[in-house]
Formats: sequence, structure tokens, C-alpha cells
Amino acid sequence: MIRSTFLRGLAFGLLWWILAEGRLDGWLLGGVAVAAATWTSLKLQPPGKLPMRLAGLVRFLRFFLWNSLRGGFQVAAMALRGRAALRPGIIELRVMLPPGEARILLVNALGLMPGTLGVDLNDTSLRLHVLDDSLPVVAETRALETSIAGLFGEAP
Amino acid sequence: MTTLVLAVALFLLANLAVALIAAARGPTAADGMLVALLIGTTGTGILVLLAPVMHLPALVDVALVLALLAAIGGIAFAKRAWQRTEGEHD
Amino acid sequence: MIEWLSMALLLVGAFFFFAGTVGLLRFPDVYSRLHALAKADNLGLGCVLLGLALQAESIAVALKLLLIWPLVMAASAGISFAIARRADRLGITPWRQERP
Repeated sequence: MIRSTFLRGLAFGLLWWILAEGRLDGWLLGGVAVAAATWTSLKLQPPGKLPMRLAGLVRFLRFFLWNSLRGGFQVAAMALRGRAALRPGIIELRVMLPPGEARILLVNALGLMPGTLGVDLNDTSLRLHVLDDSLPVVAETRALETSIAGLFGEAP
Repeated sequence: MTTLVLAVALFLLANLAVALIAAARGPTAADGMLVALLIGTTGTGILVLLAPVMHLPALVDVALVLALLAAIGGIAFAKRAWQRTEGEHD
Repeated sequence: MIEWLSMALLLVGAFFFFAGTVGLLRFPDVYSRLHALAKADNLGLGCVLLGLALQAESIAVALKLLLIWPLVMAASAGISFAIARRADRLGITPWRQERP
């Protein structure tokens, strides 16, 4: 409890420092804001129940950033070539991830990954729109699922 | 340097104008919703670029608030869509 | 050196915004337009923010600029899924390439 209060307070303090652009003249207001934010955060998400793993978070962020970079390059090249570059289609896949946050993150994150866009999600399957169905979109989706599973500590 | 930043800001503004018109005229009802996406990305881009050009550092705060509202709005939007998916069995 | 890198990033950012707009104009349906806007514009914004952060007068200001990026990414991801799902529910069928 003391440890997570300290760590969260530190994180909110850093956030305040960034928002105040490094100035220290507003520290009184900042201190109140940091204390309020820390208290709210402890109320809403009590320590010890944090659903994510730090190592998984780092790996997920690296995966996500790299693939959104690839996705941006790919779609920019397609845009410059026009609709002749497209071979769009809808595909349906079985979802491997358990219901809940992991699935919501998956279907949303797909929109920034190369060639894929989440369209619908139900109890068992995921509908995707793909820009080019000859690209390895299924493998990309599975890789994202593995990364998200690691984030929530459900790695196989 | 300032000239380049201003040029990029104006270029993004031109992009935004063209894109907004294209989205609004789009063939289907869903094309109009693309406007929500454009405001978040291009809108924040223009704001942060104008901050150094106009010597108004507060514009970065405006951009941050716009991004924050867009994020909350986007997450709420997606969550609603997802919850309805869970509820309906069709 | 940093000045040049920053200018290059701003120009690359402008290019990706341009690519996003070109995609919006040239792609045939709302789904492929969503791909173009979400992915290209986000990368463009990332480049612009990084370019400006390199010129910022303090680390705190640079970090504040970079804080904007993940927020806009979350917004774009959520909004594009919501629009795609809505379009699907409205019965808008995706455009398909005619194949020989």
C-alpha cells in the first residue's frame, strides 16, 4: 500500500511537472492536484489488483509502435498508388483472447496495425476489414493477440 | 525554421479543409463520421505547430486538452459499440 | 544537426498527413478510407510532435508535446473501430476489386 501510494504519487508528480512545463511556482496547486489524483487512483484501482504486467507492457508498446509505423508506411504507399493497390475484403477469425479488456484492446488496436481494421466482435469471432487480402493479415492479428496476452499476463 | 513550421501548419490546414469537404460529401452516411477522426489528428497537429509560430505556448495545452477529449470520446464511442455487440445476439 | 533532424521530421510528418488525405480522396469506401486516415495521419502527427519536441526549450515542454501522441492514438483507434462497426451495421458493403 505504502509502496504503490509512493509510486503513483511519483508518477502524478512527474505528470504535473510536465504539464507545468518544469516551473515550480505553482507547486501548492500542483501538490493538491497530485494528492487528489493519487487518492482517486487508489480508490478506483486498489493496489495489488493491477491487471497488467510491466514487462508485458514494455513489450506490447514496442510491438505496437513498430507495427503502427509499418502500417502508416504501407497505407501511405497504397494511397499514392490509388485503388489499384487495394484488394480489400472481410475476413472472420476465431478470437483466442478471453472476453474483457484484452478483446476490447485487440479490436481497437487493429485499426492502427498494418492492413487491418476491426469491424465487429462477438462471443467467439472477430470480423476484420483488410486492405489487401494477399498480405499476411491473419499472422499479424495472431501476433497482436500474443502481445496483448502477454500484457495481461495470460501468455500461453 | 519558423517559416517551415508555419508552412507545415498551413499545409495541414489545407489538408484538413480538403479532407473535411471530402468526408462531408462522402457517398455513405458513415463517411461523415470520418470528421471525428480528422479533428483529433490534423486538428491537434495544427495547434501544436501554431504554438511556436504565434508565440502562444498555451496552444500546446489546448492541443493536449483536445487530444484528451478525443481520447475519452473515442474510448467511450468504442466501448458503447462493443457493449452493444455483447448484448445483441444476431 | 538537431535543427536539421527536426526540420526533416516536420516534412516527413506533412508527407504522411498528405498521404492520409490522398487516401481519403482516392480510396473507394469508408472502410479503406478509415485505414488511410487512422494509420497515416497518426504517423504524421507522431513525426510532427517529435520534430517540435526536438526544438522545445526544456525537457518538460518536449515531454508535454510527446504526451499528446498516445492520447490521439487511443482516440483514433477507438473512433475508427466505432465507425467501422457502425458502417457494418448500416449495411454498407465493402468495395471489392474486380478480379480477372
